[in-house]
Amino acid sequence: MSSATPDGIALRPRRQINFQALGIYIAAIVLFIVLGLLNPNFLTAGNLRDVAVSASVNAIIGIGLTFVIITGGIDLSVGAIASFVGIVSATLMVNGGIPPAMGLIAGIILGIVCGAVNGLLITKLRLPPFIATLGTMSVFQGCAYVATNGKPVYDVPKEFVLLLNSYVVGIPVVVIVVAVVAVGAGLLLRKTVFGQNVIAVGGSEETAWLSGVRVHRVKIAVYCLAGGLSALGGLVIVARINAAQPDAGSPYQLTAIAAAVIGGANLMGGEGRIAGTLVGAVILGALTNGLVLLNVPSFYEQIVTGLVVLIAVSLDQGSKGWPMLKRSNKKDLTAAPPTASTSAVRS
Amino acid sequence: MAEHLLVVRDIAKSFPGVRALDGVSFTLERGEIRTLAGENGAGKSTLLGILGGALRPDRGSITIDGVRRMEYTSRRALAEGVRIAQQEPAIVPQLSVEQNLLLGLTRQQRKASADDIDRALKDVAQMGFPMDARTPVSRLSPAQRHALTIARAFAFGAKIVALDEPTTSMLEHNVAEVLSRVREIAHGRGVGVIYVSHKMPEVMSVSDTVVVLRDGKPAFDRPITETSSDDIVRRMVGRELLSFERQHPVDPAAPVHFEASGVSHATSSAPLSISVRKGEVVGIAGLVGSGRTEFLRSIIRADEGSRSSVSIAGKPVKIRSPRDSRTAGIAFIPEDRKAQGLVLQTPAYANVALTADGQLNGFGPFISKKKQIAMAEAMGKRMSLRPANVSLNARQFSGGNQQKLVIAKWIWLGATVYLFDEPTKGVDVGGKVEIYELIDQLASEGNAVIVVSSDLPEIISISDRVLVMRAGEFVSEHTGADINEHSIVANAMGVSSESPQSSQNDAAPAASVPSSDRIDPADTGADAFGAAKGTS
Repeated sequence: MSSATPDGIALRPRRQINFQALGIYIAAIVLFIVLGLLNPNFLTAGNLRDVAVSASVNAIIGIGLTFVIITGGIDLSVGAIASFVGIVSATLMVNGGIPPAMGLIAGIILGIVCGAVNGLLITKLRLPPFIATLGTMSVFQGCAYVATNGKPVYDVPKEFVLLLNSYVVGIPVVVIVVAVVAVGAGLLLRKTVFGQNVIAVGGSEETAWLSGVRVHRVKIAVYCLAGGLSALGGLVIVARINAAQPDAGSPYQLTAIAAAVIGGANLMGGEGRIAGTLVGAVILGALTNGLVLLNVPSFYEQIVTGLVVLIAVSLDQGSKGWPMLKRSNKKDLTAAPPTASTSAVRS
Repeated sequence: MAEHLLVVRDIAKSFPGVRALDGVSFTLERGEIRTLAGENGAGKSTLLGILGGALRPDRGSITIDGVRRMEYTSRRALAEGVRIAQQEPAIVPQLSVEQNLLLGLTRQQRKASADDIDRALKDVAQMGFPMDARTPVSRLSPAQRHALTIARAFAFGAKIVALDEPTTSMLEHNVAEVLSRVREIAHGRGVGVIYVSHKMPEVMSVSDTVVVLRDGKPAFDRPITETSSDDIVRRMVGRELLSFERQHPVDPAAPVHFEASGVSHATSSAPLSISVRKGEVVGIAGLVGSGRTEFLRSIIRADEGSRSSVSIAGKPVKIRSPRDSRTAGIAFIPEDRKAQGLVLQTPAYANVALTADGQLNGFGPFISKKKQIAMAEAMGKRMSLRPANVSLNARQFSGGNQQKLVIAKWIWLGATVYLFDEPTKGVDVGGKVEIYELIDQLASEGNAVIVVSSDLPEIISISDRVLVMRAGEFVSEHTGADINEHSIVANAMGVSSESPQSSQNDAAPAASVPSSDRIDPADTGADAFGAAKGTS
C-alpha cells in the first residue's frame, strides 16, 4: 500500500533550541555577574570554589531526586537518609573501626536500601509517593537519632575526610564527584533504555505499562538511585564538618527539591534535566555565598531562596502556559475529541 | 425588525502551523437552533472556544443583540448569557445536583436562584431524567449528567447556548425527549442554540438551520428543510464517503494462529475464549460497557485479577503481565491513545522505540538515537506517516498519525497478534481508510488480528468474522452475509425483532438516514446497556 507513495520531502529533524532550558543558564550567568558587581570578592577563584563546594550536596541529592521527579514521584526522605547514613557510617568507622572506603560503601548501600523501602511502599503497597516518603522521612530521621541516642559522632578518621574533602590539582574532590555523578546520571537518563523508560513512566504510566515496560521495577530503581545519592550527599556533609550530626541532612530535604525544580524538573512527571538540576544547585549555592559576602543577615537567605524557587517555577510555567493558544492548538492538531487526558493538563 | 441575536462575522483564528478558522460568518436568531457541523478538526471546537471567550480571534467580530463586543472574554461571554455545554459534562461529581447548578454564582445570585433551580429541575425531568436536587451527581448515570449539563446551560438567563455532542451517552428514546425539550425551551424562551453533533438523524430532527465548516471555512449554510443529511455529510467531507473493502480476506484453510481461553477479569461473569487464524481479522462488536475492552486487557494481563491462557501457533505461552505479552508478540493498541498509547511530550521515535529492550542499542548499554530514528523513519515511510519527521513530539501529530505511531511500536518488534481497541476513534475519514489498509496488510502478512469497535460500518467492512459481546459474554458469531448491521445490532442489544426495543426505535427522530451513517451502539452508552439487559 503506502510504501508506493514516498512522501517526498522527508523533513530532516532540525536541532531545536530549548529556550526554556536556556533560561536557567542565562539566569545563573546574570546572577553571577550581579553578585560580582556588588562584591568584587565574589568572582575570585577561591570564592567560586567555595560556591561549587557548597552547591555539591544539593547537586548530588538533587540529581537523584530528578529521576524520581521525572517518574512523577517525589522523595521527601532524602535529607533524613543523608542524616541516617552519615551517623551510621561515622559510627562504623569511629567505633567499629572499619576502613573509610568500606564506611563509604556501607553508607551508600544503606542509602540504596532506604530507597528500596520507599520504592516498595510506593509500588507494592501503592502508597502515594508523597505519603510514603513523608512517613519514611520521619522513620529514617528517627533511626538517625536512635543510632547514637541523638549524640553527634566526632573525630571521623582523617582518611575519610581526605577522601571527600581534599583537593586534586586545586579542584575540590567533591566537585569531581559531582561531575562524575552528573555525567553518569546524564548518560543513564538520556542514553539508556532505563532512562527512556523513566521518562515514559513519568509521561504516561499506563502507556509504559501497556508497552511492556516493567513500571514497578523502574520506580523502585529510581528511589534506590535517590537513596544512594542521598547517602553520598550525607557522607560529603560528614567529611566537610568532620563529624556526623543526627540532623545534618535536614536542611537539604527541601533545597534539593528546589534545585531540581529550578532546573526545570516538572513535578507532574515526564520532564527534568540533570544539567538543569546542577545549575539549580549552583544558583542556590551562589545565593547563599553571595548574601554572606554582602553581609545580608542569614535569616534573609531563606526568604531569597524561596523567592527564587517561586520565580523560577512561575517562569517555567509561563513559558509553557503563555498562550492558551498553544494548548488549544494541540487539541486542534490532534483533532481528537477532548478526552479526559487533554483537558486534565491544567486549565 | 430587531437585530440578530448573534452575528459572527469573518472570524479567523490561526495557531502556529494551523489555520483553524478562516472567515467564518453566520447569524443566530432568538429561538433558532443552528447546527454546527463538520469533521474532526474542521474548527468547531475553536469556534466554540471563541464564542465562550476562552480564545481570542485573530480577526472578525462578534455582535450580540446588536452590540459589537470588542473585549470579549469568558466573563463577558457569561454576562451576555452565552453558555457552552461541553461534550464532557463539566460538573463536580462530589457535589449535589443543586450545588452543581449553583456553581460559580455569587452570593447575591444564589439568593435569587430558587426559581431558576426549579425550572432547571423541571427541564431535566421533562427530558426524561427526573432527579432530586440533593442527589450527589456521582450517583447519576452518564446520561443523567449530560441532561443536567444541558439544563444548567439553559438556566440563569441564558441567551445563547452551545451544546457540544450533548447526547453521546443517551439511549435513543431519551435522545428524542431531550431534543424535543431543547426545541421547546429554545422556542419558548427565545434562546438561540448552537448544536454540535455528528449524528445526522439528531441534526435533522432538532435544528432549524445548519452551517457546515470544512477546513475552517463555512462550506454551507441552509435552513434544514432545504437540505438532507446526505447533502450535509457530503459538504462536511467534501469528497465521497469512505468505502473500504478488504483486499486480502482470510484464506479459509489458514491454520489457527492465536488462541486464548479462560479469559476473565475481576468483574467478569464467565471466562471467555477466542481463536484467530493466520491472516484473519476478527471483529468484536457490542455496546460500550459490554466488556470488550476488559476482554482485550485480560488477554495481555494488564489489570490485576485478570486471567488468560494463551497459545500462539499451537504453543502455549505464559503471560503474567504486558511485559510477557510483548515478549510473546502480542500487540495491544488501546482505545485512549493519548493516555494509554503514547507519551505525548516525547518524540515520535522514542514512542516507537518504547517496546525496545536492547535491540536499538549502539555501544554497550547505550541506546543509539540514530538507530531509533532510522527505525522509526522506516516505519513512518511504510505507514505514510505525516509529517514524516519522527523527531517531532507525539503530541504534534493528528489522531490518525498518532495511531500509526502506536501501531508502529509493535510492527517493528515483529508482533504477530494485534489487538485493536477502537482503532479509529477520533480519526478523520481519510485517516480511517489508512488504518483499515494497515489492518488489512497486517492480516495479509499472516498475523492474527482482533478489532474491538463500536463503529459498525467499520466492523462490517474489515472483519472476516464478527463476534458480538453482550454483558461480558459472546452471544453470537457472524460470518459472510451474516455480517450485517441488523443482525449485529440485534444481538448486541439482546433484542429480537418483536421486542419492545423496536418501538423505541420508532420513537427515535425519524429522518432519512444514509446507509453510510454510523449507527453507533456506543452512543447509547451505559444506559443502553442497562436497558438491553432488562429486555433480554
